[in-house]
Amino acid sequence: MSKEANHINLSSKELNELERADESSALRLIRRLIAALPIFVAIIHLLEYNYYPNYRLNTCTNIYNYFIGFLLIAYTVFYFISFISREIYDVVYHKAAFYTVLFFLLLAYDMATLKTGRLALPYFPWVDSILNAMIDDRVKLLDCVRNSMLLLFNGYFKGVVTGLICGIGAGWSKKICYWIYPVTKVLGAVPSTTYMPIVVMVAASLFQGASFIIALGVWFPVTMTAMTGVQSVRKQYYEAARTLGTGKPGILFRVAIPAAMPNIFAGLTQGMSVACLTLVVAEMMGVESGLGWYVNWQKSWAAFSKMYGAIIIICIAFILTNGLLNLIKKRVLRWQRD
Amino acid sequence: MSEKGKIEIDNITKIFRREDEDIETLTALDEVSLNVEPGEFVSIVGASGCGKSTLLRIIAGLETPTIGEVRKDGDTITGTDETRGLVFQDHSLYPWISVWNNVTFGLKSLGKYKEKKEYAEKLLELVGLSQFKRSYPSQLSGGMSQRIALIRALVTEPDVLLLDEPLGALDAFTRMNIQDVLIDLWKETKSTMILITHDVDEAIYLSERVVVMTPRPGRIVDELKIEMSYPRERSHSQFVEYRNKILKKLDYAHEQSIGYYI
Repeated sequence: MSKEANHINLSSKELNELERADESSALRLIRRLIAALPIFVAIIHLLEYNYYPNYRLNTCTNIYNYFIGFLLIAYTVFYFISFISREIYDVVYHKAAFYTVLFFLLLAYDMATLKTGRLALPYFPWVDSILNAMIDDRVKLLDCVRNSMLLLFNGYFKGVVTGLICGIGAGWSKKICYWIYPVTKVLGAVPSTTYMPIVVMVAASLFQGASFIIALGVWFPVTMTAMTGVQSVRKQYYEAARTLGTGKPGILFRVAIPAAMPNIFAGLTQGMSVACLTLVVAEMMGVESGLGWYVNWQKSWAAFSKMYGAIIIICIAFILTNGLLNLIKKRVLRWQRD
Repeated sequence: MSEKGKIEIDNITKIFRREDEDIETLTALDEVSLNVEPGEFVSIVGASGCGKSTLLRIIAGLETPTIGEVRKDGDTITGTDETRGLVFQDHSLYPWISVWNNVTFGLKSLGKYKEKKEYAEKLLELVGLSQFKRSYPSQLSGGMSQRIALIRALVTEPDVLLLDEPLGALDAFTRMNIQDVLIDLWKETKSTMILITHDVDEAIYLSERVVVMTPRPGRIVDELKIEMSYPRERSHSQFVEYRNKILKKLDYAHEQSIGYYI
Protein backbone atom coordinates (compact mmCIF):
# COMPACT_ATOMS: atom_id res chain seq x y z
CA MET A 1 0.00 0.00 0.00
CA SER A 2 1.31 3.44 -0.85
CA LYS A 3 1.61 6.17 1.77
CA GLU A 4 -1.21 8.15 0.20
CA ALA A 5 -3.57 5.21 0.21
CA ASN A 6 -7.02 6.32 1.19
CA HIS A 7 -8.64 4.77 4.21
CA ILE A 8 -11.84 3.68 2.59
CA ASN A 9 -12.82 0.03 2.21
CA LEU A 10 -10.07 -1.32 4.45
CA SER A 11 -10.26 -4.99 5.20
CA SER A 12 -10.45 -5.77 8.90
CA LYS A 13 -6.93 -7.18 8.66
CA GLU A 14 -5.65 -3.88 7.30
CA LEU A 15 -7.50 -2.04 10.06
CA ASN A 16 -5.75 -4.25 12.62
CA GLU A 17 -2.38 -3.37 11.13
CA LEU A 18 -3.29 0.31 11.08
CA GLU A 19 -4.22 0.23 14.74
CA ARG A 20 -1.00 -1.58 15.64
CA ALA A 21 1.23 0.69 13.54
CA ASP A 22 2.63 2.56 16.54
CA GLU A 23 3.60 -0.55 18.53
CA SER A 24 7.35 -0.35 19.19
CA SER A 25 9.59 -3.27 18.21
CA ALA A 26 10.60 -3.71 21.88
CA LEU A 27 6.96 -4.18 22.83
CA ARG A 28 6.55 -6.71 20.04
CA LEU A 29 9.54 -8.69 21.28
CA ILE A 30 8.21 -8.71 24.84
CA ARG A 31 4.86 -9.98 23.57
CA ARG A 32 6.55 -12.76 21.63
CA LEU A 33 8.45 -13.75 24.78
CA ILE A 34 5.27 -13.76 26.87
CA ALA A 35 3.66 -16.00 24.26
CA ALA A 36 6.65 -18.36 24.53
CA LEU A 37 6.57 -18.51 28.34
CA PRO A 38 4.53 -21.76 28.57
CA ILE A 39 7.20 -23.48 26.45
CA PHE A 40 9.96 -22.47 28.91
CA VAL A 41 7.96 -23.55 31.95
CA ALA A 42 7.06 -26.87 30.35
CA ILE A 43 10.71 -27.59 29.52
CA ILE A 44 11.77 -26.68 33.06
CA HIS A 45 9.07 -29.02 34.32
CA LEU A 46 10.34 -31.89 32.14
CA LEU A 47 13.91 -31.30 33.35
CA GLU A 48 12.70 -31.22 36.94
CA TYR A 49 10.69 -34.42 36.48
CA ASN A 50 13.60 -36.34 34.94
CA TYR A 51 16.62 -35.02 36.86
CA TYR A 52 15.41 -33.98 40.32
CA PRO A 53 15.74 -37.07 42.58
CA ASN A 54 12.52 -38.74 43.76
CA TYR A 55 11.55 -38.71 47.42
CA ARG A 56 12.52 -41.99 49.13
CA LEU A 57 10.97 -44.96 47.32
CA ASN A 58 8.67 -42.98 45.01
CA THR A 59 8.80 -44.30 41.48
CA CYS A 60 7.72 -42.83 38.20
CA THR A 61 7.49 -43.84 34.55
CA ASN A 62 7.85 -42.25 31.14
CA ILE A 63 4.08 -41.93 30.69
CA TYR A 64 4.12 -38.51 32.32
CA ASN A 65 6.95 -37.44 30.00
CA TYR A 66 4.75 -38.36 27.04
CA PHE A 67 1.83 -36.49 28.53
CA ILE A 68 3.73 -33.24 29.19
CA GLY A 69 5.69 -33.70 25.99
CA PHE A 70 2.48 -33.93 23.98
CA LEU A 71 1.12 -30.71 25.53
CA LEU A 72 4.47 -29.02 24.97
CA ILE A 73 4.66 -30.03 21.30
CA ALA A 74 1.04 -29.02 20.66
CA TYR A 75 1.63 -25.58 22.14
CA THR A 76 4.92 -25.14 20.33
CA VAL A 77 3.29 -25.96 17.00
CA PHE A 78 0.68 -23.27 17.58
CA TYR A 79 3.40 -20.86 18.69
CA PHE A 80 5.22 -21.28 15.41
CA ILE A 81 2.03 -21.03 13.35
CA SER A 82 1.41 -17.73 15.14
CA PHE A 83 4.38 -16.22 13.27
CA ILE A 84 2.40 -16.66 10.05
CA SER A 85 -1.16 -16.05 11.18
CA ARG A 86 -2.15 -12.97 13.13
CA GLU A 87 -5.41 -14.63 14.25
CA ILE A 88 -3.57 -17.61 15.76
CA TYR A 89 -1.09 -15.22 17.38
CA ASP A 90 -3.90 -13.33 19.09
CA VAL A 91 -5.29 -16.60 20.47
CA VAL A 92 -1.86 -17.91 21.54
CA TYR A 93 -0.95 -14.61 23.22
CA HIS A 94 -4.30 -14.55 24.99
CA LYS A 95 -3.90 -18.13 26.27
CA ALA A 96 -0.19 -17.85 27.15
CA ALA A 97 -0.74 -16.72 30.74
CA PHE A 98 -3.21 -19.54 31.35
CA TYR A 99 -0.86 -22.27 30.09
CA THR A 100 2.08 -20.79 31.96
CA VAL A 101 0.17 -21.08 35.22
CA LEU A 102 -1.12 -24.54 34.27
CA PHE A 103 2.40 -25.91 33.65
CA PHE A 104 3.63 -24.18 36.78
CA LEU A 105 0.89 -25.77 38.90
CA LEU A 106 1.73 -29.20 37.45
CA LEU A 107 5.35 -28.57 38.34
CA ALA A 108 4.46 -27.45 41.88
CA TYR A 109 2.20 -30.47 42.40
CA ASP A 110 4.91 -32.81 41.14
CA MET A 111 7.41 -31.25 43.53
CA ALA A 112 5.01 -31.49 46.46
CA THR A 113 4.19 -35.16 45.85
CA LEU A 114 6.71 -37.19 43.87
CA LYS A 115 9.83 -35.18 44.63
CA THR A 116 9.53 -34.08 48.25
CA GLY A 117 6.60 -36.02 49.69
CA ARG A 118 5.09 -32.95 51.34
CA LEU A 119 1.69 -34.15 50.22
CA ALA A 120 1.81 -37.76 51.28
CA LEU A 121 0.50 -40.98 49.84
CA PRO A 122 -1.99 -42.60 49.69
CA TYR A 123 -4.21 -39.48 49.46
CA PHE A 124 -2.08 -37.52 47.03
CA PRO A 125 -0.73 -39.66 44.19
CA TRP A 126 1.37 -37.83 41.60
CA VAL A 127 -0.01 -37.36 38.11
CA ASP A 128 2.20 -40.06 36.61
CA SER A 129 0.71 -42.64 38.96
CA ILE A 130 -2.84 -41.49 38.12
CA LEU A 131 -2.11 -41.78 34.39
CA ASN A 132 -0.71 -45.25 34.88
CA ALA A 133 -3.70 -46.30 36.96
CA MET A 134 -6.02 -45.11 34.18
CA ILE A 135 -4.07 -47.01 31.55
CA ASP A 136 -3.85 -50.21 33.61
CA ASP A 137 -7.57 -50.24 34.33
CA ARG A 138 -8.69 -48.96 30.93
CA VAL A 139 -10.99 -51.86 30.08
CA LYS A 140 -12.96 -51.46 33.30
CA LEU A 141 -12.94 -47.65 32.98
CA LEU A 142 -14.20 -47.70 29.39
CA ASP A 143 -16.97 -50.03 30.46
CA CYS A 144 -17.87 -47.60 33.24
CA VAL A 145 -17.85 -44.66 30.84
CA ARG A 146 -20.19 -46.57 28.53
CA ASN A 147 -22.57 -47.48 31.36
CA SER A 148 -22.56 -43.94 32.75
CA MET A 149 -23.25 -42.35 29.38
CA LEU A 150 -25.97 -44.88 28.64
CA LEU A 151 -27.69 -44.07 31.92
CA LEU A 152 -27.15 -40.34 31.55
CA PHE A 153 -28.63 -40.11 28.07
CA ASN A 154 -31.39 -42.59 28.79
CA GLY A 155 -32.59 -40.48 31.72
CA TYR A 156 -31.90 -37.16 30.05
CA PHE A 157 -33.77 -38.11 26.91
CA LYS A 158 -36.84 -39.29 28.83
CA GLY A 159 -36.79 -36.13 30.95
CA VAL A 160 -36.43 -33.83 27.96
CA VAL A 161 -39.21 -35.46 25.95
CA THR A 162 -41.74 -35.45 28.80
CA GLY A 163 -40.56 -31.99 29.88
CA LEU A 164 -41.04 -30.53 26.42
CA ILE A 165 -44.48 -32.08 26.04
CA CYS A 166 -45.62 -30.87 29.47
CA GLY A 167 -43.98 -27.44 29.19
CA ILE A 168 -45.12 -26.61 25.68
CA GLY A 169 -48.59 -27.98 26.46
CA ALA A 170 -48.86 -25.93 29.63
CA GLY A 171 -47.63 -22.80 27.90
CA TRP A 172 -50.04 -23.30 25.02
CA SER A 173 -53.23 -24.21 26.86
CA LYS A 174 -54.58 -22.85 30.12
CA LYS A 175 -56.33 -26.17 30.79
CA ILE A 176 -53.11 -28.18 30.59
CA CYS A 177 -51.35 -25.54 32.70
CA TYR A 178 -54.05 -25.96 35.36
CA TRP A 179 -52.95 -29.58 35.89
CA ILE A 180 -49.20 -29.31 35.24
CA TYR A 181 -48.48 -26.23 37.31
CA PRO A 182 -49.25 -27.72 40.77
CA VAL A 183 -47.13 -30.78 39.90
CA THR A 184 -44.14 -28.55 39.10
CA LYS A 185 -44.70 -26.73 42.40
CA VAL A 186 -44.43 -29.97 44.37
CA LEU A 187 -41.71 -31.76 42.41
CA GLY A 188 -39.67 -28.65 41.66
CA ALA A 189 -39.04 -27.78 45.29
CA VAL A 190 -37.42 -31.14 46.09
CA PRO A 191 -34.21 -32.50 44.52
CA SER A 192 -35.11 -35.68 42.66
CA THR A 193 -32.35 -37.66 44.42
CA THR A 194 -34.51 -37.46 47.56
CA TYR A 195 -36.70 -40.20 46.06
CA MET A 196 -33.69 -42.42 45.37
CA PRO A 197 -34.26 -44.86 48.30
CA ILE A 198 -37.93 -45.35 47.31
CA VAL A 199 -37.07 -45.89 43.68
CA VAL A 200 -34.30 -48.35 44.54
CA MET A 201 -36.88 -50.40 46.44
CA VAL A 202 -39.73 -50.19 43.95
CA ALA A 203 -38.05 -50.10 40.55
CA ALA A 204 -37.78 -53.25 38.43
CA SER A 205 -34.07 -52.68 37.86
CA LEU A 206 -31.55 -50.27 39.32
CA PHE A 207 -30.83 -48.93 35.85
CA GLN A 208 -34.50 -48.11 35.24
CA GLY A 209 -34.80 -46.60 38.70
CA ALA A 210 -31.77 -44.36 38.31
CA SER A 211 -32.89 -43.40 34.82
CA PHE A 212 -36.25 -42.38 36.26
CA ILE A 213 -34.57 -40.25 38.94
CA ILE A 214 -32.45 -38.47 36.31
CA ALA A 215 -35.49 -37.97 34.07
CA LEU A 216 -37.40 -36.47 36.99
CA GLY A 217 -34.57 -34.04 37.71
CA VAL A 218 -34.36 -33.01 34.05
CA TRP A 219 -38.13 -32.81 33.62
CA PHE A 220 -38.56 -29.88 35.99
CA PRO A 221 -36.26 -27.23 34.44
CA VAL A 222 -37.24 -28.26 30.90
CA THR A 223 -40.95 -28.01 31.73
CA MET A 224 -40.61 -24.64 33.44
CA THR A 225 -38.53 -22.99 30.73
CA ALA A 226 -40.62 -24.39 27.87
CA MET A 227 -43.77 -23.20 29.62
CA THR A 228 -42.55 -19.65 30.26
CA GLY A 229 -41.03 -19.63 26.77
CA VAL A 230 -44.33 -20.37 25.07
CA GLN A 231 -46.27 -18.10 27.42
CA SER A 232 -44.06 -15.12 26.70
CA VAL A 233 -44.30 -15.29 22.90
CA ARG A 234 -45.37 -11.87 21.61
CA LYS A 235 -49.09 -11.78 20.83
CA GLN A 236 -48.40 -10.09 17.49
CA TYR A 237 -46.52 -13.16 16.25
CA TYR A 238 -49.72 -15.15 16.74
CA GLU A 239 -51.90 -12.45 15.24
CA ALA A 240 -49.65 -12.12 12.19
CA ALA A 241 -49.81 -15.89 11.66
CA ARG A 242 -53.59 -15.91 12.01
CA THR A 243 -54.07 -13.17 9.41
CA LEU A 244 -51.77 -15.13 7.10
CA GLY A 245 -54.23 -18.02 7.21
CA THR A 246 -52.26 -20.25 9.59
CA GLY A 247 -54.25 -22.82 11.56
CA LYS A 248 -53.76 -23.76 15.22
CA PRO A 249 -51.26 -26.60 14.63
CA GLY A 250 -49.30 -24.35 12.29
CA ILE A 251 -49.17 -21.59 14.89
CA LEU A 252 -48.00 -24.06 17.55
CA PHE A 253 -45.25 -25.68 15.49
CA ARG A 254 -44.17 -22.78 13.30
CA VAL A 255 -44.55 -19.85 15.72
CA ALA A 256 -44.89 -20.81 19.40
CA ILE A 257 -42.19 -23.49 19.57
CA PRO A 258 -39.52 -21.70 17.47
CA ALA A 259 -40.16 -18.49 19.41
CA ALA A 260 -39.69 -20.38 22.69
CA MET A 261 -36.46 -22.06 21.52
CA PRO A 262 -34.03 -19.72 23.35
CA ASN A 263 -35.89 -20.46 26.60
CA ILE A 264 -36.08 -24.16 25.84
CA PHE A 265 -32.32 -24.34 25.32
CA ALA A 266 -31.72 -22.61 28.63
CA GLY A 267 -33.79 -25.41 30.15
CA LEU A 268 -31.92 -28.12 28.24
CA THR A 269 -28.57 -26.81 29.54
CA GLN A 270 -29.89 -26.53 33.08
CA GLY A 271 -31.37 -30.02 32.73
CA MET A 272 -28.02 -31.42 31.61
CA SER A 273 -26.22 -30.12 34.69
CA VAL A 274 -28.97 -31.59 36.90
CA ALA A 275 -28.65 -34.89 34.99
CA CYS A 276 -24.88 -35.04 35.51
CA LEU A 277 -25.25 -34.31 39.21
CA THR A 278 -28.03 -36.84 39.65
CA LEU A 279 -26.10 -39.48 37.70
CA VAL A 280 -23.10 -39.33 39.99
CA VAL A 281 -25.24 -39.35 43.13
CA ALA A 282 -27.35 -42.25 41.82
CA GLU A 283 -24.26 -44.25 40.90
CA MET A 284 -22.67 -43.63 44.27
CA MET A 285 -25.86 -44.55 46.14
CA GLY A 286 -27.04 -47.70 44.47
CA VAL A 287 -26.33 -48.45 40.84
CA GLU A 288 -23.52 -51.01 40.62
CA SER A 289 -21.78 -49.73 37.52
CA GLY A 290 -20.60 -46.50 36.02
CA LEU A 291 -17.98 -43.94 36.94
CA GLY A 292 -19.66 -42.78 40.14
CA TRP A 293 -19.74 -46.34 41.41
CA TYR A 294 -16.12 -46.88 40.30
CA VAL A 295 -15.01 -43.83 42.28
CA ASN A 296 -16.71 -45.09 45.41
CA TRP A 297 -15.47 -48.64 44.94
CA GLN A 298 -11.82 -47.65 44.45
CA LYS A 299 -12.03 -45.32 47.42
CA SER A 300 -13.08 -48.22 49.63
CA TRP A 301 -9.99 -50.10 48.46
CA ALA A 302 -7.89 -46.98 49.14
CA ALA A 303 -6.87 -47.04 45.47
CA PHE A 304 -6.65 -43.29 45.25
CA SER A 305 -4.79 -43.13 41.95
CA LYS A 306 -7.66 -45.02 40.29
CA MET A 307 -10.22 -42.85 42.07
CA TYR A 308 -8.59 -39.64 40.84
CA GLY A 309 -8.36 -41.13 37.36
CA ALA A 310 -12.09 -41.84 37.31
CA ILE A 311 -12.89 -38.36 38.63
CA ILE A 312 -10.81 -36.83 35.83
CA ILE A 313 -12.68 -38.96 33.29
CA ILE A 314 -16.03 -37.85 34.75
CA CYS A 315 -14.95 -34.21 34.34
CA ILE A 316 -13.87 -34.77 30.74
CA ALA A 317 -17.07 -36.67 29.89
CA PHE A 318 -19.31 -33.95 31.29
CA ILE A 319 -17.33 -31.17 29.64
CA LEU A 320 -17.63 -32.95 26.29
CA THR A 321 -21.35 -33.56 26.78
CA ASN A 322 -21.99 -29.91 27.57
CA GLY A 323 -19.83 -28.88 24.65
CA LEU A 324 -21.94 -31.03 22.34
CA LEU A 325 -25.13 -29.49 23.70
CA ASN A 326 -23.69 -26.01 23.15
CA LEU A 327 -22.83 -26.85 19.56
CA ILE A 328 -26.42 -27.94 18.90
CA LYS A 329 -27.68 -24.80 20.61
CA LYS A 330 -25.48 -22.53 18.49
CA ARG A 331 -26.70 -24.25 15.35
CA VAL A 332 -30.41 -24.04 16.23
CA LEU A 333 -30.24 -20.48 17.57
CA ARG A 334 -27.93 -19.12 14.87
CA TRP A 335 -30.56 -16.51 14.00
CA GLN A 336 -29.94 -14.84 17.37
CA ARG A 337 -26.42 -13.69 16.49
CA ASP A 338 -25.38 -10.72 14.35
CA MET B 1 -59.90 -9.87 -8.12
CA SER B 2 -60.68 -6.16 -8.15
CA GLU B 3 -64.34 -7.11 -7.75
CA LYS B 4 -63.59 -8.43 -4.28
CA GLY B 5 -62.60 -6.57 -1.15
CA LYS B 6 -65.71 -4.60 -0.25
CA ILE B 7 -65.92 -3.81 3.47
CA GLU B 8 -69.15 -2.75 5.12
CA ILE B 9 -68.95 -1.57 8.70
CA ASP B 10 -72.51 -1.52 9.92
CA ASN B 11 -73.13 0.61 12.97
CA ILE B 12 -70.65 -1.08 15.32
CA THR B 13 -70.02 -0.34 18.98
CA LYS B 14 -67.13 -1.81 20.94
CA ILE B 15 -67.07 -1.67 24.73
CA PHE B 16 -64.04 -2.86 26.70
CA ARG B 17 -63.93 -3.97 30.31
CA ARG B 18 -61.43 -1.96 32.30
CA GLU B 19 -58.82 -3.96 34.13
CA ASP B 20 -58.59 -1.59 37.09
CA GLU B 21 -62.26 -0.77 37.57
CA ASP B 22 -65.30 -2.93 38.10
CA ILE B 23 -68.03 -0.42 37.49
CA GLU B 24 -66.89 1.69 34.56
CA THR B 25 -66.35 0.36 31.07
CA LEU B 26 -64.64 1.97 28.11
CA THR B 27 -66.50 2.66 24.90
CA ALA B 28 -63.80 2.47 22.23
CA LEU B 29 -66.12 2.75 19.25
CA ASP B 30 -69.56 4.33 19.27
CA GLU B 31 -71.93 3.50 16.41
CA VAL B 32 -69.34 3.58 13.68
CA SER B 33 -70.39 2.97 10.08
CA LEU B 34 -68.14 2.99 7.04
CA ASN B 35 -68.16 1.45 3.58
CA VAL B 36 -65.02 0.77 1.63
CA GLU B 37 -65.25 -0.10 -2.06
CA PRO B 38 -63.19 -2.86 -3.68
CA GLY B 39 -59.71 -1.67 -4.57
CA GLU B 40 -60.14 1.62 -2.71
CA PHE B 41 -57.36 3.18 -0.61
CA VAL B 42 -58.85 4.61 2.57
CA SER B 43 -56.95 6.21 5.46
CA ILE B 44 -58.31 6.66 8.94
CA VAL B 45 -56.72 9.49 10.92
CA GLY B 46 -57.28 10.48 14.50
CA ALA B 47 -55.58 11.20 17.79
CA SER B 48 -54.44 8.26 19.88
CA GLY B 49 -57.26 6.61 21.77
CA CYS B 50 -59.86 7.34 19.08
CA GLY B 51 -60.40 3.62 18.52
CA LYS B 52 -58.91 3.49 15.04
CA SER B 53 -56.72 0.51 15.87
CA THR B 54 -59.66 -1.28 17.47
CA LEU B 55 -61.66 -0.68 14.30
CA LEU B 56 -58.87 -2.22 12.21
CA ARG B 57 -58.55 -5.22 14.53
CA ILE B 58 -62.30 -5.81 14.23
CA ILE B 59 -62.04 -5.78 10.42
CA ALA B 60 -59.12 -8.22 10.68
CA GLY B 61 -61.24 -10.50 12.86
CA LEU B 62 -58.95 -10.28 15.89
CA GLU B 63 -61.70 -8.60 17.94
CA THR B 64 -65.47 -8.87 17.73
CA PRO B 65 -67.74 -5.83 17.97
CA THR B 66 -70.02 -5.66 21.02
CA ILE B 67 -72.94 -4.48 18.87
CA GLY B 68 -73.28 -4.47 15.10
CA GLU B 69 -71.35 -6.33 12.46
CA VAL B 70 -68.71 -5.98 9.79
CA ARG B 71 -69.13 -7.64 6.40
CA LYS B 72 -66.63 -8.39 3.70
CA ASP B 73 -68.15 -8.95 0.27
CA GLY B 74 -71.49 -9.54 1.98
CA ASP B 75 -70.29 -12.16 4.50
CA THR B 76 -70.19 -11.33 8.20
CA ILE B 77 -66.63 -11.39 9.58
CA THR B 78 -66.30 -13.87 12.45
CA GLY B 79 -62.55 -14.51 12.60
CA THR B 80 -59.26 -14.07 10.84
CA ASP B 81 -58.51 -15.40 7.41
CA GLU B 82 -55.98 -14.87 4.66
CA THR B 83 -58.31 -12.64 2.60
CA ARG B 84 -57.72 -9.84 5.10
CA GLY B 85 -54.00 -9.24 5.65
CA LEU B 86 -52.65 -7.14 8.49
CA VAL B 87 -49.40 -5.20 8.89
CA PHE B 88 -48.38 -3.95 12.32
CA GLN B 89 -46.48 -0.86 13.41
CA ASP B 90 -43.48 -2.95 14.41
CA HIS B 91 -42.89 -5.34 11.56
CA SER B 92 -43.38 -8.53 13.64
CA LEU B 93 -41.25 -10.58 11.27
CA TYR B 94 -40.27 -13.96 12.69
CA PRO B 95 -36.62 -13.57 13.72
CA TRP B 96 -35.91 -17.31 13.63
CA ILE B 97 -36.46 -17.77 9.90
CA SER B 98 -34.91 -16.11 6.87
CA VAL B 99 -36.46 -13.24 4.95
CA TRP B 100 -37.61 -15.64 2.24
CA ASN B 101 -39.28 -17.96 4.74
CA ASN B 102 -40.98 -14.97 6.32
CA VAL B 103 -42.30 -13.80 2.97
CA THR B 104 -43.62 -17.24 2.07
CA PHE B 105 -44.92 -18.04 5.58
CA GLY B 106 -48.56 -17.58 4.57
CA LEU B 107 -48.12 -19.53 1.33
CA LYS B 108 -46.87 -22.52 3.30
CA SER B 109 -49.81 -22.24 5.70
CA LEU B 110 -52.20 -22.37 2.75
CA GLY B 111 -50.26 -25.03 0.86
CA LYS B 112 -49.75 -22.68 -2.07
CA TYR B 113 -45.97 -22.42 -1.89
CA LYS B 114 -45.30 -24.01 -5.27
CA GLU B 115 -47.85 -22.11 -7.30
CA LYS B 116 -47.18 -18.68 -5.75
CA LYS B 117 -43.40 -18.88 -5.34
CA GLU B 118 -42.74 -16.75 -8.39
CA TYR B 119 -45.22 -14.13 -7.26
CA ALA B 120 -43.32 -13.88 -3.96
CA GLU B 121 -40.08 -13.39 -5.90
CA LYS B 122 -41.74 -10.70 -7.98
CA LEU B 123 -42.93 -8.77 -4.93
CA LEU B 124 -39.49 -9.09 -3.35
CA GLU B 125 -38.06 -7.65 -6.54
CA LEU B 126 -40.61 -4.83 -6.49
CA VAL B 127 -39.52 -3.64 -3.04
CA GLY B 128 -35.86 -4.06 -4.07
CA LEU B 129 -34.83 -6.64 -1.50
CA SER B 130 -34.18 -9.75 -3.61
CA GLN B 131 -30.56 -9.95 -2.49
CA PHE B 132 -31.63 -10.22 1.16
CA LYS B 133 -33.61 -13.44 0.69
CA ARG B 134 -31.28 -15.50 2.85
CA SER B 135 -30.70 -12.87 5.54
CA TYR B 136 -32.31 -13.05 8.94
CA PRO B 137 -34.63 -10.20 9.99
CA SER B 138 -32.10 -9.05 12.61
CA GLN B 139 -29.75 -8.17 9.76
CA LEU B 140 -32.23 -5.74 8.17
CA SER B 141 -32.86 -2.07 8.93
CA GLY B 142 -36.27 -0.91 10.17
CA GLY B 143 -37.36 0.26 6.73
CA MET B 144 -36.29 -2.96 5.04
CA SER B 145 -38.10 -5.03 7.68
CA GLN B 146 -41.29 -3.08 7.14
CA ARG B 147 -41.10 -3.61 3.38
CA ILE B 148 -40.73 -7.34 3.99
CA ALA B 149 -43.69 -7.24 6.40
CA LEU B 150 -45.76 -5.55 3.67
CA ILE B 151 -45.06 -8.20 1.07
CA ARG B 152 -45.42 -11.00 3.61
CA ALA B 153 -49.01 -9.81 4.05
CA LEU B 154 -49.55 -9.31 0.29
CA VAL B 155 -48.11 -12.55 -1.02
CA THR B 156 -51.26 -14.52 -0.22
CA GLU B 157 -53.13 -11.98 -2.40
CA PRO B 158 -55.57 -10.72 0.23
CA ASP B 159 -58.63 -8.83 -0.98
CA VAL B 160 -58.10 -6.29 1.80
CA LEU B 161 -54.82 -5.13 3.34
CA LEU B 162 -55.12 -3.57 6.78
CA LEU B 163 -52.25 -1.28 7.76
CA ASP B 164 -51.93 -0.40 11.44
CA GLU B 165 -49.56 2.60 11.40
CA PRO B 166 -46.99 0.56 9.50
CA LEU B 167 -44.70 3.57 9.02
CA GLY B 168 -45.13 5.03 12.49
CA ALA B 169 -41.80 3.85 13.86
CA LEU B 170 -39.66 4.90 10.87
CA ASP B 171 -37.62 8.04 10.29
CA ALA B 172 -38.91 10.71 7.90
CA PHE B 173 -36.82 9.71 4.84
CA THR B 174 -37.54 6.00 5.11
CA ARG B 175 -41.18 6.81 5.65
CA MET B 176 -41.50 8.80 2.42
CA ASN B 177 -39.65 6.07 0.56
CA ILE B 178 -42.00 3.37 1.80
CA GLN B 179 -45.04 5.50 1.09
CA ASP B 180 -44.08 5.29 -2.58
CA VAL B 181 -43.47 1.55 -2.23
CA LEU B 182 -46.95 1.25 -0.76
CA ILE B 183 -48.52 3.02 -3.75
CA ASP B 184 -46.60 0.72 -6.12
CA LEU B 185 -47.80 -2.34 -4.22
CA TRP B 186 -51.38 -1.09 -4.23
CA LYS B 187 -51.29 -0.51 -8.00
CA GLU B 188 -49.69 -3.91 -8.51
CA THR B 189 -52.02 -5.96 -6.32
CA LYS B 190 -55.23 -3.90 -6.69
CA SER B 191 -56.15 -4.88 -3.12
CA THR B 192 -58.38 -2.72 -0.97
CA MET B 193 -56.15 -0.76 1.42
CA ILE B 194 -57.24 0.51 4.83
CA LEU B 195 -54.51 2.53 6.53
CA ILE B 196 -54.50 3.74 10.11
CA THR B 197 -52.23 6.72 10.73
CA HIS B 198 -51.83 9.81 12.87
CA ASP B 199 -49.84 11.50 10.11
CA VAL B 200 -52.23 13.69 8.11
CA ASP B 201 -49.73 14.22 5.28
CA GLU B 202 -49.30 10.49 4.89
CA ALA B 203 -53.06 10.00 4.69
CA ILE B 204 -53.46 12.66 1.99
CA TYR B 205 -50.39 11.51 0.06
CA LEU B 206 -51.54 7.90 -0.12
CA SER B 207 -55.29 7.58 -0.07
CA GLU B 208 -58.35 8.27 -2.16
CA ARG B 209 -60.43 8.96 0.89
CA VAL B 210 -59.53 10.15 4.40
CA VAL B 211 -61.77 9.33 7.34
CA VAL B 212 -61.39 11.50 10.44
CA MET B 213 -62.09 10.01 13.87
CA THR B 214 -62.32 11.61 17.30
CA PRO B 215 -61.63 9.98 20.65
CA ARG B 216 -63.68 9.25 23.77
CA PRO B 217 -65.83 7.68 22.46
CA GLY B 218 -64.41 6.78 19.05
CA ARG B 219 -66.58 8.27 16.31
CA ILE B 220 -66.23 9.15 12.66
CA VAL B 221 -66.68 12.91 12.31
CA ASP B 222 -65.77 13.54 8.69
CA GLU B 223 -64.85 11.95 5.39
CA LEU B 224 -62.89 13.65 2.63
CA LYS B 225 -62.35 12.49 -0.94
CA ILE B 226 -58.84 13.41 -2.05
CA GLU B 227 -59.22 14.34 -5.68
CA MET B 228 -55.60 14.53 -6.81
CA SER B 229 -53.77 12.31 -9.26
CA TYR B 230 -50.82 10.13 -8.25
CA PRO B 231 -47.98 10.76 -7.61
CA ARG B 232 -49.02 13.64 -5.39
CA GLU B 233 -47.01 16.76 -4.69
CA ARG B 234 -46.77 17.52 -0.98
CA SER B 235 -46.34 21.24 -1.55
CA HIS B 236 -49.23 21.54 -4.00
CA SER B 237 -51.82 24.14 -2.94
CA GLN B 238 -54.61 21.56 -3.09
CA PHE B 239 -52.59 19.22 -0.84
CA VAL B 240 -52.10 22.03 1.67
CA GLU B 241 -55.78 22.84 1.56
CA TYR B 242 -56.72 19.25 2.39
CA ARG B 243 -54.20 19.23 5.19
CA ASN B 244 -55.62 22.40 6.73
CA LYS B 245 -59.14 21.07 6.48
CA ILE B 246 -58.28 17.80 8.22
CA LEU B 247 -56.13 19.44 10.88
CA LYS B 248 -58.95 21.84 11.63
CA LYS B 249 -61.30 18.89 12.10
CA LEU B 250 -58.83 17.15 14.39
CA ASP B 251 -58.08 20.30 16.32
CA TYR B 252 -61.73 21.07 16.78
CA ALA B 253 -62.27 17.54 17.95
CA HIS B 254 -59.38 17.91 20.36
CA GLU B 255 -60.84 21.08 21.90
CA GLN B 256 -64.18 19.42 22.21
CA SER B 257 -62.81 16.42 24.02
CA ILE B 258 -60.92 18.64 26.45
CA GLY B 259 -64.14 20.54 27.11
CA TYR B 260 -65.80 17.21 27.71
CA TYR B 261 -63.34 16.44 30.47
CA ILE B 262 -63.48 19.89 32.10
